[in-house]
Amino acid sequence: MGKVELLVARADAGLGADLGVRGDVAAPFIGLTARDGLDRYTRRDLRREEIAIAREFHGGAMWPYAAAAFGGFALWLALFPLAVYALVSLPLACLIACVLATGGYVTSHEAMHSNIARIGEKRRWLNEAVGAVSTIPIVFPFGMARLMHLEHHYHCNDPVRDPDYTDEAPNALLALWKTWYNRQPGVDGSIHHYKRILGEMATSEAERALKETMALQMMFMAVLFALAWSGHALAAAAVWWLPRHVGLSYIRFYLSWAPHHPREGQTGRYENTRVFKSRLGHVMSMGMETHLVHHLYPGIPNHRTKRAFYALREVLAARGVDVSPLGKG
Amino acid sequence: MQAAMKHLFHWMPVVFGLGFIAPLIAQSMAALGIAAPFGLSRIALGLLIGGPWGLYAVLRGRWI
Repeated sequence: MGKVELLVARADAGLGADLGVRGDVAAPFIGLTARDGLDRYTRRDLRREEIAIAREFHGGAMWPYAAAAFGGFALWLALFPLAVYALVSLPLACLIACVLATGGYVTSHEAMHSNIARIGEKRRWLNEAVGAVSTIPIVFPFGMARLMHLEHHYHCNDPVRDPDYTDEAPNALLALWKTWYNRQPGVDGSIHHYKRILGEMATSEAERALKETMALQMMFMAVLFALAWSGHALAAAAVWWLPRHVGLSYIRFYLSWAPHHPREGQTGRYENTRVFKSRLGHVMSMGMETHLVHHLYPGIPNHRTKRAFYALREVLAARGVDVSPLGKG
Repeated sequence: MQAAMKHLFHWMPVVFGLGFIAPLIAQSMAALGIAAPFGLSRIALGLLIGGPWGLYAVLRGRWI
């Protein structure tokens, strides 16, 4: 079993984060720290109750994610000729592409956790295909996205080992600014940070992910240059260049900063992700208000985390989670 | 090969400035009906901005 497969299998289990061992890359940083003041018997009973409730929300129909991924990718591809031949106005093409680029991460995210099909299942190819096409608009290859995202789960909020730690900022405005700053060529953030971590991992999967990243980045540049020098720079900017930046910033803000702020020292299972009320609502924040459920049980699909949260609400409150931002549902 | 790619990616902002920003500036000006100053063509102006801007990004490590 390769490292990616191993990491995927452990993430699929959903309970891997409970091991609470610090150490090598395969060992999670997250521990079951007892900051809730409960005795071990109460914690054990709560844990059993939590698992029993969570089990009800695992699985379900995942074909809508596949349909959204392929449909979205096809529509995004179609925007190129539509924009070039002025069949769609550039602002409208840009708006649609921004939505598709951002939303693609949601479908890819399910594939990262093998929620569409697990290793060894008949439709595993579908899981991999969904992951592969979903993040092309943001020029973020699936191999890198999955490796880095699973590292984020295993070492959540560890300043050294969590690849997303560079997104931390003291407030929302600075967090938005940082989403842009981290993409600058000389800054060790975002994809530059990921590239460095992949280089340090020095595994065959990491090497492959690096090669995929370079290939996709080169293709991105080649398409932009070809369109620009054939007189379609504005279409290229509207359909790919600008939506990529908007999508990356939106994703970094809502999927990384908002649910994990303030990060520092928040490494426990029930504290590494916060429950928050999004000004844009649950859907527009891509379900991140209840991202805690995802970190506890990555096998619960994104669209079911809200209902799972309300089912788990009392158990989570007993474990010391501040569930008040979302009320009682 | 890997070293060559690393080198290319290091200088990518310059390539991007010339390959994309320059024509983007020229075509944006054309769409807005703005002429280039000093008798320059729009693409020449785009190259004069895009190239040095990319070089600035390489040297300073950020675009702005």
